[in-house]
Amino acid sequence: MDIGELKQKADLSYDISVAKKNALERAVSRQIFAYNGHLFRADAQTICLVKTLSEQKDSFFVLDTNNNPCEIKEPADFLNKLIERNQETLNAYHQINKEFAKRR
Amino acid sequence: MSNGVLLFCFNTETCEYYRIAERCVELIKKNLKLEITIVTNLETFKKLKPLGMLNYKLINNETGNKRGKEQWHNLDRCNAYDLSPYDTTILMDIDYFPFTNILLEYLNINDDFLIHDKIHDLTNKDVYNFRFNSIIPMLWATVIVFKKTSRAKRIFDMVKYIKQHYQHFCDLYRVDIRNFRNDYAFSIAVNQVNGHIQQKFLPGKLPTLPGIAKVLKINDTGVVFKYDDKINYVENQDVHILDKELTNV
Repeated sequence: MDIGELKQKADLSYDISVAKKNALERAVSRQIFAYNGHLFRADAQTICLVKTLSEQKDSFFVLDTNNNPCEIKEPADFLNKLIERNQETLNAYHQINKEFAKRR
Repeated sequence: MSNGVLLFCFNTETCEYYRIAERCVELIKKNLKLEITIVTNLETFKKLKPLGMLNYKLINNETGNKRGKEQWHNLDRCNAYDLSPYDTTILMDIDYFPFTNILLEYLNINDDFLIHDKIHDLTNKDVYNFRFNSIIPMLWATVIVFKKTSRAKRIFDMVKYIKQHYQHFCDLYRVDIRNFRNDYAFSIAVNQVNGHIQQKFLPGKLPTLPGIAKVLKINDTGVVFKYDDKINYVENQDVHILDKELTNV
């Protein structure tokens, strides 16, 4: 492989890395959603917390993205929405990731 | 309860901002489907093409601020609270392009004033490190979501006061960028109104294409840009674009 080709590969690798970072940021920002007047992130941590608490209690409090307490009166509904949003964003990220893999 | 987007748009001698506003309005209509009010002056209003059902507020904008050697008409944003006809307002720069509907999430919340405190540089160059340009954490006034509450009004009134005495506040907070910047004015106002403690912010980061990135193409879903001889794109993601040459794209 000559130096020109190496440079081309390195540039491509860099471009993919930036695009991947942007795509991940997009996925993370899409995970933000409003529930009961509060903002939450549909990330793994929130899902695990809500799942664990919902196994113990019918209603409970969690903190939103600005650390305000929010009472969750319908845990199943909240959990469904969290999982739905989480998987929707990660599925979109997965599709982009597959395209990046092809370009390498 | 009414919701809407408030935009400020004033042409300068060097930039036809109305062209940027036209693109922005199209995306708001497509992705946010909210009522829009544009605050502008008569000169800029005459240049805007018919954009359908929009509200216009014509004002004589304040002038005098500069960015480099160019005019910078950014002195009227502190009047957004008074000018907004909505109960909940998304106050947005016209160079923020909403390629998604993510801003709609911020309309259904209890908080009455939210602003970004984090930024994401889409070129991955991390050109936005202002930590050493002042002693106050920088906020980004590109997108502000506010409700008509007394607290939100206090913040906007404080920005008006800071604008009047801007050099004093620059000294107080050791802001080393001396021309008037809304980012700093709102950072200081939020800090003052909250009794010098942290407040609530918009979650997520403000996705931004810095000035070093030149926009090559914009379509309905995203932007193709060039920087350092590299070409990249973002799709289905909101973008704040600083390259004003995009008026020619």
